[in-house]
Amino acid sequence: MPRYAMAIDLSACVGCAACAVACKLENEVPPGVSRLWIRLEESGTFPDLSLQYRPEQCMQCADPPCVPVCPTGASHVTDDGVVLVEAETCIACGACIAACPYGARYFDERGFVGKCTFCEHRLAQGRVPACVETCPTLCRSFGDLDDPDSDVSRAIRGARRVDVLKPEQGTHPKLVYLNAPARFGLSREGVAR
Amino acid sequence: MTSTTVTTFYGAVNDGAFWHWPTLLHFCLVALAGGVALLVAYRALTSPRLGWRLPALSVGLIALDMIVLWAESLARWRLTHVYLFLSIRPASAIWWGAWGLAGSAVLGLLLASGWGPRRLWGALLAVTSTMALLYPGLALAANSARPLWTPLLLAFMPVTGLLLAWGSALLFRQNDLRPAVGALALLGGLLGGLYLVGLATGDLAAREGLHHLWIEGGPWFVTALAAMLLAPTLLRRYPAAAGLLVVAGAVLARTLLVEIGAYMPPVL
Repeated sequence: MPRYAMAIDLSACVGCAACAVACKLENEVPPGVSRLWIRLEESGTFPDLSLQYRPEQCMQCADPPCVPVCPTGASHVTDDGVVLVEAETCIACGACIAACPYGARYFDERGFVGKCTFCEHRLAQGRVPACVETCPTLCRSFGDLDDPDSDVSRAIRGARRVDVLKPEQGTHPKLVYLNAPARFGLSREGVAR
Repeated sequence: MTSTTVTTFYGAVNDGAFWHWPTLLHFCLVALAGGVALLVAYRALTSPRLGWRLPALSVGLIALDMIVLWAESLARWRLTHVYLFLSIRPASAIWWGAWGLAGSAVLGLLLASGWGPRRLWGALLAVTSTMALLYPGLALAANSARPLWTPLLLAFMPVTGLLLAWGSALLFRQNDLRPAVGALALLGGLLGGLYLVGLATGDLAAREGLHHLWIEGGPWFVTALAAMLLAPTLLRRYPAAAGLLVVAGAVLARTLLVEIGAYMPPVL
């Protein structure tokens, strides 16, 4: 089975939000909530300023804290490593929302918890997720982490730097960030400096 | 001029409050239901006669809690809650809570009816009601990304749960509970103090969490702890007033911890 993963090259992201719009349309995400959002972070003091765009979504963790807390098994990991919510058995208790360190889950007004699915319906058709297909700067790479020739494996191999969010949580995200600005990186200590 | 960071978003980051007042009400009702059920178990095991009123009250409280949970759930018309009982999920605190409450309701009905071996039902009810009392702390402490939901809540939540239930019992002249309420009130106040010290001496996320707690409701939390610590001094002469104090303190502390405790440090 493949082990799906995604890489986002931050040096190529221009914050156009096309991925966020594509996700919203593709997955019919209700108003007021998002499966994918863009963080714009301005830091520093003139003339020493930095502006960084960072798309964020479910990190598709290899050790997802949202899965064991689910009381019905609605939150689960598929054989290809995608973390999903089975709407039919979800009781919308919010335990998984509380457990997610990335704020990637939300209450869907239709009575279940929603989140990024890596567009599993598209994967089943042999297509890539909508956000990957839409990105005009090709900053997103997707594929099988176990296949050295996949887009994501090649992107990670070629990157100057690879980061994950909140590594201290031990979730082992399968969404990684490439080439984060070297001066700040993604660590809290780096930003504080 | 100091360096600053300004963060804005395109799209909605899902970091707002996700449990609102009905859930806070549930966190108090489950304590009341679990605590009264444990009292029923204690009476069933130790008293020569139990009567039907107290077991019926415990079943009524569980039913009320279930109704609140059902009414506030977005899935209320989809009847998916049945899957709580059709799956085995021991890693989930809510699964334990569901079985604890369901078991307590059945055993409470059996005790109220007077049918069957009372002591056996009482012993089983002691187990199921303890599950119901423990589950809120488990459900909160499981979330390591939220620094205000520390492992100390595994002790603080059941203690405040018992205070809520048994403090309420003092209002109804169950005065044999005075020593237990006094000890629990002291324990609750001390655990609450330890919780604050633990945050103050913890890592960066814990200290940020403490700052958030203080800004959003710190004085109220301290007031709740003070009420618990003050109550034992009133127990002998004014048991009802002491009961009222511990109930108010327990309700305040629990709701603040659930509502404000959902805080998560920003992703940087």
